[in-house]
Amino acid sequence: MYLIKKTDILQIAKALSTEYQVYGPVIEPGSGQTFFEKVDDVSEINLSAPIPAAPPKHIVFPQADRILSYRYAGGNAPVEMKPDFKETPKALFGLRSCDLTGLQCLDRFFLGQEFVDEVYRSLRKKMFIVTNTCVTPFKYCFCVCTDSGPAAEEGYDLNLTDIGDNFLIEAGSAKGKALCEKLQLATAANKDLAEKNRLVDKSITLFESFSTESKAWVSRVMNRITTGFAKEEVWEYVGDQCFECGACSFVCPSCSCFNVVDTATGDCSCDRLRTWDSCSYEGYSRMAGGHNPRKPVEDRRNKRFFCKLSYSQSKKYLRPGCVGCGRCNWVCPGDIGMPNVVKYIRRETTSRDQL
Amino acid sequence: MKQQPGVCTFCGTGCGHFMKVTGTAVERVFPSQNHPVSRGRLCVRGWNIHELLNTAQTINRPLIKKNGQFAEATYDEAIALLVDTLKALPTAAIGFLASPRSTNEEQFLLMKLARAVFKTNNISLASDAGHRGCLNVLSAGTGMAGMTGSLEEICKAEFLLVAGSDITKQNPIVGSEIHQAAQTGAKIVTIDSRRTQIAKLSNSFLQITPGALKLAVAGIAKCVVQDGLVDSDFVRTSTRGFEEFSSSLTQLPAQEITAKTGISSEEFKQVAHALARAKTAMAFFSSGISGLDEDTISYIFNLFAMTGNIGKEGCGVNPITGINNLQGGYDMGCAPDLLSGFQSLSDQAAVKKFNAAWGVELNITPGISVSELLAESAGQLKALVVIDHDEGLVRDVAALQKVDFVVYISTYKNKYMDYAHLVLPVARYIAEDGTFTNTDRRVQLSAKKLEPQNNVLPGWKLYARIADKAGSKWSYAGPADVMDEIARLTPTYAKLSHKKLAATFGGVQWPCDEKNPDGTRRLDIKAAGSSISFAKVTGTFTVPAAGKDFPYLLMIGKAQDFWHQNNLMRKTFIPMREYNATLLDYPGGYVEIAPDTAKALQVRNQWQVKVVSPYGEMLLAVKISDEVKPHAAYVPYFARDIIAKALTGHPEILKQGEDATIPIRIEKV
Repeated sequence: MYLIKKTDILQIAKALSTEYQVYGPVIEPGSGQTFFEKVDDVSEINLSAPIPAAPPKHIVFPQADRILSYRYAGGNAPVEMKPDFKETPKALFGLRSCDLTGLQCLDRFFLGQEFVDEVYRSLRKKMFIVTNTCVTPFKYCFCVCTDSGPAAEEGYDLNLTDIGDNFLIEAGSAKGKALCEKLQLATAANKDLAEKNRLVDKSITLFESFSTESKAWVSRVMNRITTGFAKEEVWEYVGDQCFECGACSFVCPSCSCFNVVDTATGDCSCDRLRTWDSCSYEGYSRMAGGHNPRKPVEDRRNKRFFCKLSYSQSKKYLRPGCVGCGRCNWVCPGDIGMPNVVKYIRRETTSRDQL
Repeated sequence: MKQQPGVCTFCGTGCGHFMKVTGTAVERVFPSQNHPVSRGRLCVRGWNIHELLNTAQTINRPLIKKNGQFAEATYDEAIALLVDTLKALPTAAIGFLASPRSTNEEQFLLMKLARAVFKTNNISLASDAGHRGCLNVLSAGTGMAGMTGSLEEICKAEFLLVAGSDITKQNPIVGSEIHQAAQTGAKIVTIDSRRTQIAKLSNSFLQITPGALKLAVAGIAKCVVQDGLVDSDFVRTSTRGFEEFSSSLTQLPAQEITAKTGISSEEFKQVAHALARAKTAMAFFSSGISGLDEDTISYIFNLFAMTGNIGKEGCGVNPITGINNLQGGYDMGCAPDLLSGFQSLSDQAAVKKFNAAWGVELNITPGISVSELLAESAGQLKALVVIDHDEGLVRDVAALQKVDFVVYISTYKNKYMDYAHLVLPVARYIAEDGTFTNTDRRVQLSAKKLEPQNNVLPGWKLYARIADKAGSKWSYAGPADVMDEIARLTPTYAKLSHKKLAATFGGVQWPCDEKNPDGTRRLDIKAAGSSISFAKVTGTFTVPAAGKDFPYLLMIGKAQDFWHQNNLMRKTFIPMREYNATLLDYPGGYVEIAPDTAKALQVRNQWQVKVVSPYGEMLLAVKISDEVKPHAAYVPYFARDIIAKALTGHPEILKQGEDATIPIRIEKV
């Protein structure tokens, strides 16, 4: 455990920038919207920025990514094929704990199973992760309901907590510790850790008043979904509100579904693209020949919530698939972000009023 | 920080987004959380706009057709050919088909090019019927030729009427606002023949007989009068012409309304009372190529005027434009009889102002719209300049083939090119500054984000070079200069400039003038001290009736799998897959019928049937769905090719677009 003066915190990012491409929370000046972006200069980073609008998923899993290009001139000409992905050391500076949890879910999907995804691995390798404890929650947050915040517990190289005049720095790995030693940071005392713990406890109590848009009794609903006690009519109520935009998947830190398309670029050449996909789309589950096991929109919608909340799926992630960031609530044109659906299932909401 | 704010350019909602641009490509998009209209939401199209913007299916060089084949040419050669050909023709033989996708600056310059350089008033937008009807009614009724309410105030409305619009598919974020208003207590009433998503989300759904929308609205209005629900204070102090309208309603026999609409008087009563109870109310209907006719809009307008729901906070009669800059197209005067800002060519003072500014003598005889010119059998049209167009091609093919010289100007390749003699590329909208005016009169600046590819010209520069070649020196340094000229000549845009728009987040709603330098959120009759005139109505209702020979009523409409002929969707991956999903299941189109109808006909899903109408017949696959009522049938608009072929020789039916309701019989094949 180390301490650094609040005003000096970006020195760590600066030190990282010699070896890594640094990404961090940046506020877009015109709109006040936070993005988690690659920065040219670490001074762009704002650690007190609200939770980024988009999770850092695009860094390891871009929205549209060329993974291969090939050329085939026809006949006996050989097919020239060129994989197109490379390893670049990256430092994610100021990641929120929900987003770190999302990254861990992606890791388990892309790397933790029988088949290892080479594209993801190359983008994910050589990463230095610096998390930032949320000493206050934001309007849409509910990580306390999904066991993924407000402070990161594992999986980081360094974890920062704003404890007043200083940041408390916890090293979670040897390379994190080495960096702190190299920067000759002051050692923190037990009282500093106690202060962090006090702030985390306080943050948890603040959810009641700050996170007015989301409260989700996730454990209860996991039980209902797993045991089949979620009513059919509730799924219809949810499905009617799905606008099939795909936004919930796109902003979800743990959603990993993708589509692969080959697109001609002229001159007998083709690019193979991997793009984000969403289970809310009809074409997502449509099979060759036209059969669609999940044609009605409510079937597609409950797919999402089974994936995030059922016990059998959670075994794959070693936790619920939902990390409690609340972004799906924010972007949903219907009213079926995760906390709302949890509420509908729990309260068995099925119908709307007549005139 | 490389995230750049921008405007989504698919539909008329005008959602805000951010784009991450690297080199010549758009890496990704993300919704704009604080944007006043979209507040962090985008639809399936908006989330994937980068796929369209990165497509390789662009027009990269000017092309001149020689011996039936396109040959690459320089801009100089192509522009010379265009100018020489047009100059050699009588002005009445030239037509300009403007695009509702172009920026305001491009629209304005095209209008100037047509009127001031080529001396023709034959300029129109494709959607002349739908949106123009809305503007006529709203302009005559309120003096404001645009949506009287504001999208930002949907959350303040207590009652929301959706009339014949599949709004959650056509303008999803407007649909979302309506739904979210309902989630916090507002009441939604949907009138439609088909059970759309918004119908499912409504508190009351009047599933009317196809073709009976106008009569259903009149039915509600009659109930309002009969049950003494008229807001008489408002009518007395703020409106004119109520008596005439209300007496036209009393002549309507109640039983006939019920018989023809299929809606009971009790249901009408419930809706009328809910509307009267609400302190604020808004009406929504689609405008554009598939919009409602002027008379139906008049009834909606009058219903909302007599209940005191126009010109106040949380109120409004709101046409929703299907394409991003349709409202801007009319604002810029792309109509045979209009100058910019809905100023009429018959307005001498306005014409004088334009003459002085442009140093010309404008022809004040209104022109003829391109759709009318194409429909004419005499073949008056010899040369047609078409901008970025993807509607109605099938309907116009035969007429188009008779035109001697067709010029197609666009960013993307499309089928229109097959009929063109000259093709001119223009740059993607993100390669130049430009403004778009969304459905609630919101003018937004879309700033340049990258350089044009292949040295393709931006639209304004192309038009300036054409004008230059034709002998008119235009001296704009860029689109900002064009906007300054628009502001000088257009009262509703008087105080707008790129500088002002760049300094605001989320645009400015016109009228933006001396009195309202920050724009006008909505019509405010109290502040303006103005009043509302009830719209003139015909009082006639022809509801097509099914008979013995033709027992089903066929309607034509839009669906998730169709969006404006899908020409843009086809250049993407995810939206193409989504929009084409039904097309793949039903490559030859389908006719949607109720389960009871299918039972009676003894047919199953995907079986072929023959749809026979008095005008022609077509073969379609069956799609069984409970979204249509028994005795109704539905054909999606994407089967327009098939519909158009079946109805060849009956342009009067085709012209009705989505309003067309055709009695049919269905035969098992």
